[in-house]
Amino acid sequence: MILFTIFLPLLAAPLLGLFGSPRQGAQANAVLAGLVFALTLAVFAAPGAGLVHADDLGLIFGAITGFTGLTTAITNIYYVREAEPRLSLRRWRVYHAMCQVVLGATLLGLYADNIGLLWAAVEGATIAATLAVSMPRTPSALEAAWKYFILGGVGIGLALFGTMLVYLAAQPALGPGFAAMSFRALTAHAAGMDGSLLTLAFVFILFGYGTKAALAPLQGWLPDAYAEGPAPLTTALSGPLMNVALLAILRFRHLLQANFTAGGAALPPGPFLLTLGLASLFLAAFSFSRRRDARRFFGFSSIEHSGVAAFAFGIGGAAAVFGGLLHMLLHTLIKSALLQVLIRAAALRGSTAPGHYGFSHLRGLIYSNKYTAWVLGAAMFALSGLPPSGLFASEFIIISQTIQRSPWASLPLGLGLLLCAVAILRNLGPLVFGPAPVRTKPGRATLETHLVTLHLVLAVVLAFAMPPLPVHLLSHMAEALQ
Amino acid sequence: MNLTFSLAHLMGGIILVLGFSLLSQRRLAAMITIYQLQAFVLSAAAFWQGFAQHEVNLYLTGLITLGIKAVLLPIGLRQIVLRFNMIRAVETAMPVVMSMILGVGLIGVAVLVVLPSTLSAVSLTREDLAIALSVVLLGLLVMTTRRNALAQIIGFLSTENGLVLAAIGMPGMPFVAEFSVALLVLLAFLVVGVFLFRIREHFDTLDLSGLEEIERRGR
Repeated sequence: MILFTIFLPLLAAPLLGLFGSPRQGAQANAVLAGLVFALTLAVFAAPGAGLVHADDLGLIFGAITGFTGLTTAITNIYYVREAEPRLSLRRWRVYHAMCQVVLGATLLGLYADNIGLLWAAVEGATIAATLAVSMPRTPSALEAAWKYFILGGVGIGLALFGTMLVYLAAQPALGPGFAAMSFRALTAHAAGMDGSLLTLAFVFILFGYGTKAALAPLQGWLPDAYAEGPAPLTTALSGPLMNVALLAILRFRHLLQANFTAGGAALPPGPFLLTLGLASLFLAAFSFSRRRDARRFFGFSSIEHSGVAAFAFGIGGAAAVFGGLLHMLLHTLIKSALLQVLIRAAALRGSTAPGHYGFSHLRGLIYSNKYTAWVLGAAMFALSGLPPSGLFASEFIIISQTIQRSPWASLPLGLGLLLCAVAILRNLGPLVFGPAPVRTKPGRATLETHLVTLHLVLAVVLAFAMPPLPVHLLSHMAEALQ
Repeated sequence: MNLTFSLAHLMGGIILVLGFSLLSQRRLAAMITIYQLQAFVLSAAAFWQGFAQHEVNLYLTGLITLGIKAVLLPIGLRQIVLRFNMIRAVETAMPVVMSMILGVGLIGVAVLVVLPSTLSAVSLTREDLAIALSVVLLGLLVMTTRRNALAQIIGFLSTENGLVLAAIGMPGMPFVAEFSVALLVLLAFLVVGVFLFRIREHFDTLDLSGLEEIERRGR
């Protein structure tokens, strides 16, 4: 069952290359995404075994990925209708195939129990995403793709080196063979691993997967990739991919922490993660003010939230890790909602091509369509993390844990979050209620706007009603990986 | 056992020296030749490790390295050099002497970091790992000191040789052949990417220093 979930999108990808028109391709893509979503729910009943064996984190993040994949695919139908003339048929075919490859690779990365498979999944997703970013073939898209390729390639190389070092560090405990590459076996034997080698491995893993998670010194590719690629694939689907990298960092961090706690030679992972997390947070906070392109702006917001999650993992302890995981889930829901409604907003203003997402261009959206404007405003407000946004709950947990465990770090964290929230709220007013550019025509809201509302409602329910099943899974894993 | 050690170290050492000489080369054709030599030695090292560890997978890795990285990729790279008429020397972002001093520093860092932290590991793996990390770091240095896209790719290819060198030295590691294939896919995309992205059409040369369009527009 679980293998089917992963390989359905990967195997179906070439078939999407056969459709005669981009619209048919987009519809088939949506049907496939629907199937994949149903399958990610079915995985709860049969989590697999061996190399591909979903743990509780894999299950819940897999379901979120499936859900985001489905709503993105539906948004994509409307996107293709509007954007059809901009790309040739061949490129649309490749584009739809890449949508499925990214989805399948993300699921493989979430479900893999093997550190080698995890690496291969991230590599495959990076190649597919790069191809997609280069799709519009404008000079700036090519520049973004090249940046993504080089930075992503270096990150992948470092991650592979780290993966091999983890294998080597596990030799004293597990010996040669597959056991030394399985997360389950590694976690069970973390105390017996070679601590100093494990520390070295973690540095490589952190910088390798940190590139994919867009942590501070390695974030360069992300804003460009967000702004230049075909919107649905490079933005809305990139949230789940970031989760894969962050979860990998969390799992390796646990190995280091467990070895340290058991008296091994490993260094505690906290300071590394706290430093990178705070650096990402402040980099985003200070970069917000100068952005004029909305997608680039929200790209920096992804860097911010990735940093917050890394920070929470650095604080450590079951509650902080729980806060970090909840933060990742909510951020995935809210960010993909926001980017989807942004595509709609750009369509209301005439074009969804890159370069048509400037704040000055989208300003005063309420004059184009009231419903879309309110949803966009709500999504931006949710992203700022003020109550009643879902992110408030997770940020509250993280801050209270920080005060308890390392009080000195709570001040910069609070300051960074505040700066980011102010930067986002400053743009909210003009974007939704400001004076519209001349010759603005009113438009209609479509199905995807309702889906975005569903995303936001889900985020609020998840954060404040705390339904028992996901919370149980998350807290169970947070305890295991603290 | 002694022969295993010294031969593996010899080949690792040659790969490192070749990686280092990439830093000093300013002509693309010469860089490609050096890379080709490096790939040849790497495939020999893979065969030797396969023989020493009795591991069929490593022979496969060696074959892939030999066939694609030592023969096919260099042919493709030379085609690009010819087609884009880039025979003359390429620009470097810093003086060659400076980058070589940095390179020596990086090798020192790699040795200082790896050797103390692997005291318990088998010594073959230990020293191989220090060499492999040096090759990886040197490749990254080449990527940062060159402005030309193709030179950056060759730096990346050399980095990747270092990764494979580390992988074949790991005792009994599964997936080594699969890793090298997966890396190759990435490399192939990079090389094909130069054609695919048609960087030359858009930017006139493969010189990436003019590639700051986005920054300039301040978006």
